[in-house]
Amino acid sequence: MANIKATEQPRIGVYICHCGHNIAATIDVAAVAKFAEKLPGVALARDYKYMCSAPGQDLIQSDIEGHKLNRVVVASCSPLLHEHTFRNATEKGGINPFLFQMVNIREHNSWVHTDRAIATEKAKAQVQGAIRRVAGHSALETKRVPIHPDVLVVGGGIAGIHAAMTLANAGKKVYLVEREPSIGGHMAKFDKTFPTLDCAACILTPKMSSVGSHPNITLWSYSEVAKVDGFVGNYTVQVKRKPRYINEDLCTGCQECISSCVFKEPKFPDEFNERLGKRRPVYIPFAQATPQVVLIDPEVCLNFKRQKGPNGEPVVGDKCKKTCVEACGENKAIDFTQKEEIKEIQVGTVIVATGFKTFDATRVPYFGYGKYPNVYTSLEVERLVNASGPTGGHVVLRDGKEPKTIAIAHCIGSRDENTNRHCSRVCCMYSLKLAHLLKEHTGAEIYNFYIDMRTPGKGFEEFYQSVAAEGVHFVRGKIADVYPEAGGTGKLIVQAEDTLLGRVRKQPVDMVVLAVGLEPQADAQDVRRMFNMSCGSEGFFLERHPKLAPVSTFTDGVFIAGACQSPKDIPDTVAQAGAAAAEAMALIDKGHVEQEPNTAFIIEDECSGCKSCVPLCPYTAITFDEAKKKAVINEALCKGCGTCVASCPSGSIKQNLFEDGEIFAEIEGVLAQV
Amino acid sequence: MSNATATADSDAGVMTLANLANFPEGRKVFSCMQCGTCAATCPYGDEMGFPPRAIITMLEAGLIEEVFASPGLLNCVTCYACMAKCPRGIKLTEVLLPLVKEQVFTRLKEVPAELQKALENTMRYGNPMGESPRKRALWAKSSPVPVPVISEIKRPVDVLWFVECYPAYHPRGNDANRATAKLFKALGIDFAILGNEEKCAGECARLVGETGLFDMLTDSNVKLLRKYQFKRIVTGGAHAYDAFKRKYPAAGFDFEVHHSTPFFAQHLARIKPKLTKKLDYTVTYHDACALGRHNGFYDEPRALLAAIPGVKLVEMTHSGVNSICCGGGGGGMWLDTYYAAKGYERLSERRVKEALDTGANALAVSCPYEVSRFEDALKVVGGDKRMVVRDVVELLAEAMED
Ligand SMILES: Cc1cc2nc3c(=O)[nH]c(=O)nc-3n(C[C@H](O)[C@H](O)[C@H](O)COP(=O)(O)OP(=O)(O)OC[C@H]3O[C@@H](n4cnc5c(N)ncnc54)[C@H](O)[C@@H]3O)c2cc1C
Ligand code: SF4
Ligand code: SF4
Repeated sequence: MANIKATEQPRIGVYICHCGHNIAATIDVAAVAKFAEKLPGVALARDYKYMCSAPGQDLIQSDIEGHKLNRVVVASCSPLLHEHTFRNATEKGGINPFLFQMVNIREHNSWVHTDRAIATEKAKAQVQGAIRRVAGHSALETKRVPIHPDVLVVGGGIAGIHAAMTLANAGKKVYLVEREPSIGGHMAKFDKTFPTLDCAACILTPKMSSVGSHPNITLWSYSEVAKVDGFVGNYTVQVKRKPRYINEDLCTGCQECISSCVFKEPKFPDEFNERLGKRRPVYIPFAQATPQVVLIDPEVCLNFKRQKGPNGEPVVGDKCKKTCVEACGENKAIDFTQKEEIKEIQVGTVIVATGFKTFDATRVPYFGYGKYPNVYTSLEVERLVNASGPTGGHVVLRDGKEPKTIAIAHCIGSRDENTNRHCSRVCCMYSLKLAHLLKEHTGAEIYNFYIDMRTPGKGFEEFYQSVAAEGVHFVRGKIADVYPEAGGTGKLIVQAEDTLLGRVRKQPVDMVVLAVGLEPQADAQDVRRMFNMSCGSEGFFLERHPKLAPVSTFTDGVFIAGACQSPKDIPDTVAQAGAAAAEAMALIDKGHVEQEPNTAFIIEDECSGCKSCVPLCPYTAITFDEAKKKAVINEALCKGCGTCVASCPSGSIKQNLFEDGEIFAEIEGVLAQV
Repeated sequence: MSNATATADSDAGVMTLANLANFPEGRKVFSCMQCGTCAATCPYGDEMGFPPRAIITMLEAGLIEEVFASPGLLNCVTCYACMAKCPRGIKLTEVLLPLVKEQVFTRLKEVPAELQKALENTMRYGNPMGESPRKRALWAKSSPVPVPVISEIKRPVDVLWFVECYPAYHPRGNDANRATAKLFKALGIDFAILGNEEKCAGECARLVGETGLFDMLTDSNVKLLRKYQFKRIVTGGAHAYDAFKRKYPAAGFDFEVHHSTPFFAQHLARIKPKLTKKLDYTVTYHDACALGRHNGFYDEPRALLAAIPGVKLVEMTHSGVNSICCGGGGGGMWLDTYYAAKGYERLSERRVKEALDTGANALAVSCPYEVSRFEDALKVVGGDKRMVVRDVVELLAEAMED
């Protein structure tokens, strides 16, 4: 461990930043500088308008040279923002960057106080603490850890697909892990996409098949991440591959097995078609599925027993004639003995792109979903208008009749304190799209019941205008009740106040479409924990900074893209996916990461070998050397959390940048007379 | 000025329409996004003139006097429907509407006679019917189970049963009382009533904006309750329960309180073996606003009904949080003539039509207003031959062998 003790007498340079008015309006910065100047060890103290500006940084540099400074203190904003900047300036001046200390007199002072005199006193105390502390700082060295060049992408929606393709095209090796049997995510279910109404399959299918055949992409569908260890640049990941009872390498995608299944007719609810259609036990989710590999559902396949093994796994029987195996013939791709498999991989960076789920409309009983058959969710209608959907693109109700009047209810499970407070951002636009498509398919009268129309994207307002001009009706009011029309007409009444008229409308319709909102995936919390991320109040993954680091997380090397971060449309999703890929590449191409030297180290002579620190370390960085009977800290794994330092009964663990002497000097400085 | 309570920031005093912004619940009113859910779900949304959404716009525009001058808010039956569905979570029925209603009443040229009479009666006799307070416990004489009066037995009891006005005086309420007494006995519960000392809990006075009368009744009932020793209060009055739970604490009421339906549901395991008589009923349950939407007791009454042998439960189109008010709340009990004169549909009739549509032959309720309201409405719509109205406790008692 590089731990060079500086021996010369301290000559400290102190800089008080105005931050424009942010600090100077509340703190008398000149007074603070004057105060600091007189403190022991201080060679010079200045106040300056913007310390982070180029001239501000130059000032530090030239003072170090001109005034032979050997320590620097900057009192300004949060270290999160500019510690790096000033350490660099210190280093450029020719001294070790860790002979520097930063004081936050903005967030911790000027932004939260109003009394100038008291704020100034507090700033003096803060600065005095830093001056005393920095005097005891040692020169330290930043470690460099190499980055593994491979990338893990979790989730194969349009976000994951785009990120994986960007990286793979740049020559990076990518593992793409998708939970479902095929990649494509929600976009694969749509017929057309707003605002341009281009055919979703036409733009998505080529991308999907490129992923499937790209030499740099290992696609693991029907798989999930089971475990993640390590740190930025060096993650060890275990991926669980669920058995699909088909050998992926042998299946040619001919699908002979499906048509020859003993079930002559598809009989089981088809998940891809939102259960509006049916499939067989052996199936492929949709025509363009990637990979083009079938799978067998052991829950309904006759060759499996209707009971579970000791670990809940399906048990193979021998009841079925297995006409599928016959049809597969020489390919021999069907394998009823396939078991769950765990693959272990090494990657340096991760992109999480797990997307969203739609709001469960049964949670609000008065919209009638699940109670009245003619109430549909928007996702169901996406399948109904789709030429490759369960009805071949004919929009018909469950009784086979074509609807003549349709209500589209906006904001279902969005903008509502009883469900989700956030606006789901895409529903206004997809409701316009569905209104257009439904009108095109059926000629029905369509009523959009909305609270506010939100069409802020490129070309969105124009789309709204054109759909309105087609004769779609817009009623400003949220639907509050859905119930059958009296007299057994089979119609439903949707009840809403037309707030522009100030009248309650009871509109009879044949079909109700609920514009369900976007929610975090059901397992978002598990995924969050696995990758050590945070979630915002709505449960979507939290970005490191809402403006300046929108695809980074608080875990280095883990990035997020798409609707898992917040509801968004396809253009924004793709933009984020590209950004996440670029961030990952920036790390990979740099080749290494610098690690803060704030790691813990053991004074070997003093360690009593009690082992109490070993189980406490959250990063399993501490092992025990049985020969020496001493604890050993793996510097590469240590994150500098300090848990072991505080727990060591003999006080023989120390931590760089947080040595007792440094901390006590700072406390004394803050508490001393100012 | 008003008894609409909400926690103030600090020293904000009593909430009024002018100082709403000093209270967290008041500020929330201004977060209204004008979605119209409140008006669209209100059973009188079309007749109200200024439904909650419009009240908020008028308030924001400085035109609230026009709202005060309109009698529209007399139509509010305090059913909590708007509040339950408001996507902004605004406490409309609890916070905003009482403040407005109070002003509407002070500006009313003439309070509808029937309501005026009920309020006067409550003031004078402690019950809206104008019955003699000395006859309040008369019903107990006809109870097959002895019903002790706490002042007479002079000892602490487990359950103090707050009977309330309709059950005490209305013959159909008396029926429910006798059933309740039978259930207490079957469960071996040591109970007593307040007898003639009891006065109306006053919730409806509060909900029509008569806060002075409400305060008077509150004080008198709290003082009375303090005289006796008991573990908990059980009442069959859904509105009394609501008032005890939410409003009385401000007057020093700190007793454990239950509504009889959820109370008996707690004892379902012990009641069930006693339900031995098979009843031939298809039952549909009407969720009382004060019990369901305002206090979340949706499952308890249904669990009790489902335990009765022979009973088949069916649901109305509007049930649970989406239930439609019987029209009796917020003074609606005494506004039937007024509504009729204006040509509005009676909500109790709207409700029983829905109940009849289910094909059920029994309509189960757990609020004392409802038995008489629905029986009356069934006669009007010509459904009284097809359907009976029963309190949940009546059905339970009926299924118990004597
Ligand atoms: C009804 C409807 C219509 C829409 N129409 C349009 C439109 O016309 N135009 C438009 O621009 N936008 C539209 N959108 C929005 C669009 O769906 C999203 O922008 C887009 O799907 C976001 O892509 P994504 O990859 O982030 O998420 P998703 O599409 O949700 O993909 C996420 C993928 O990750 C997988 N996954 C999830 N969890 C895991 C896990 N733990 N492990 C492995 N894999 C996992 C999922 O199986 C899925 O394949 C619409 C949305 C809806 C609801
Ligand atoms: S329901 Fe709530 S948000 Fe909507 S208009 Fe009424 S008060 Fe406003
Ligand atoms: S409480 Fe009921 S009656 Fe009153 S305004 Fe709200 S919905 Fe209408």
